[in-house]
Amino acid sequence: MRALRIGILLGWRQIQRSNPWTTILIIFVMMLTFLNLIAVSGILVGLIAGSEKAVQEKSIGNIVITALDTEDEILETETIRRTLATIPEIIGFSVRYQKGVQIEANYSTRRDLQAEANIIGSQAIGFDPWEEELVTALSENIVEGEYFQPGESGYIVLGALTLERYTAGFADITGALKEVYPGDKVRVSINGASREFTVKGIINAKAGGVANSVYLPASELRRLSGNPNRNADEIIIRLKDDRPATATAVKDILLRQGLDTYAKIRTFEEALPKFITDIKNTFNILGTFIGSIGIVVASITIFIIIFINALSRQRQIGILKGIGIDRRAIEIAYILQAAFYALLGSALGVAITYGILVGYFERNPINFPFSDGILVADPLGTWYRFLALFGITLIAGFLPAWLIVRRNTLNSILGRK
Amino acid sequence: MAHIITTTDVTRSFGSGDLITHVLKGITMTVEEGEFLAIMGKSGAGKSTLMYQLSVLDEPSGGTIIVDGVDVVQLNEVEATAFRLNTLGYVFQDYALVPDLSAEENVMLPLLMRGLVWKEARETARQAIDDVGLVGKYVNLPAQLSGGEQQRVSIARALAGKPRILFADEPTANLDSVSGQSVIDLITALNRDYGQTVVMVTHEREYALGANRIIHMEDGLIVHEECLRDCAVREH
Repeated sequence: MRALRIGILLGWRQIQRSNPWTTILIIFVMMLTFLNLIAVSGILVGLIAGSEKAVQEKSIGNIVITALDTEDEILETETIRRTLATIPEIIGFSVRYQKGVQIEANYSTRRDLQAEANIIGSQAIGFDPWEEELVTALSENIVEGEYFQPGESGYIVLGALTLERYTAGFADITGALKEVYPGDKVRVSINGASREFTVKGIINAKAGGVANSVYLPASELRRLSGNPNRNADEIIIRLKDDRPATATAVKDILLRQGLDTYAKIRTFEEALPKFITDIKNTFNILGTFIGSIGIVVASITIFIIIFINALSRQRQIGILKGIGIDRRAIEIAYILQAAFYALLGSALGVAITYGILVGYFERNPINFPFSDGILVADPLGTWYRFLALFGITLIAGFLPAWLIVRRNTLNSILGRK
Repeated sequence: MAHIITTTDVTRSFGSGDLITHVLKGITMTVEEGEFLAIMGKSGAGKSTLMYQLSVLDEPSGGTIIVDGVDVVQLNEVEATAFRLNTLGYVFQDYALVPDLSAEENVMLPLLMRGLVWKEARETARQAIDDVGLVGKYVNLPAQLSGGEQQRVSIARALAGKPRILFADEPTANLDSVSGQSVIDLITALNRDYGQTVVMVTHEREYALGANRIIHMEDGLIVHEECLRDCAVREH
């Protein structure tokens, strides 16, 4: 306790009397180290998290209902629809039909019948545009033309990646329509049945499958496919909030209603492919590893700073020991300095991360090709990283002090090696 | 008077084999309680090395040293540190104050280490600073004090814990003659007025004149003891 008291006095006074610019520089280095530790893994994880978020917002909502593994479609779709309408936590749901289709463009102006047709295969999604709007707000993702309007028919909305000009040179691999714009006619075929639609708009989103599909009102898709059955392929549900706990609670309600006998009910987390979670975890480890290099650099920096500091005060340390000051008090003084740098650097890092960076990247996501990357800074992970940085910094502060303090007292006083 | 320091055949050597240097070659001496002993000699005579042995800052290569009834050669590092804290006071030639601490905090350090609470340590430190003639300079940093004033703070630090023995290693070496004399006067007064036992190493005979006895060293041996007052002179 006495050693602690004197250690704090010595350490604090050293901090107070040290060159302010040096102190600021050290704290700045610690802050950058902390940010590096948080930001590298945060952006790597955020790259996947941004993709997940887009999938949740634009593709499958908070809960997704699909056909049982033993069935081709959701049984008793109307029963499920009626049940969903009674649950207050649900703010919207969209009943979707999915069919493989062929889409051909520019067939009326094609002169050379020997040339390759402007045709692709795609997945058509049929839905009620207004129901869908409550879940995915796809109209917000229209990049050309318009979204469906009430009471109209004969229109189709194309995903951007079905068009050559959006595929950035990958059209040869994926197949894409050339020179198709809103207002153009396309021919949609399912199992030999064809119908002409006018391209109403082009939709683009960095969510799996959204930009690869084409969209039709459900009634028109069912009519074209000649399927009078109203059982759907997928029902996506939007809840009042995005918390996983809410999704689990609503899923439990649906299970208690016995809907799992008609369909498979999964929360967003459950519906995510395992490889996505694996990639996220891998990126997290990778980011932590890269950030750890920063910790090593910071700990070496602290080691050198404390070592030089202690070495330059070697005689003073010898005299302190000479007049009877416990060596632990002197070691504590240097540990305190290291702790001060780590604490202040981390505190600034936390303030910048949560006060500026998270919000900034939320508003201005990083434009990755397949997702809008955000900065994920999970508070628990941040806490663990802080503890790692703090612990290593303390060791980096203690070691040089210990090396100097353990030297022979008289040798230190006389400056002998 | 009782012996507060007794040494028997103390030797100190550095190096080994052909390169060994014998700095102390068998010192047997005593210091009486309340005595002011000055150790003099040319550079390399071994006077500082002797003082380091007596003040438990170094371990002799041979012989025994009894300080205040304790065989200090047998103490381990932790025990030696505690012994120095509780029994001895030091004044070094370059003051050896902690530059980041104020005058009173420098004096408080050993007091806090002894377990005094902050307020009590500060009051004792301020009293000690007053006693060495630096009234009101409690919060001055060492850099804000003259060399003589710094040495006085160093003396205050050494005396605040009321040590049994005060060791002073050439306390005037870095001071001008006026400051040096005032420091010597202070140490002499402490011995004369309060019976403080003092062991001081010095080059300057004029500064040793306040002592009871002067030990003259040459080549690692005491060659002459000179009594100035109140002592039995033993010639070697």
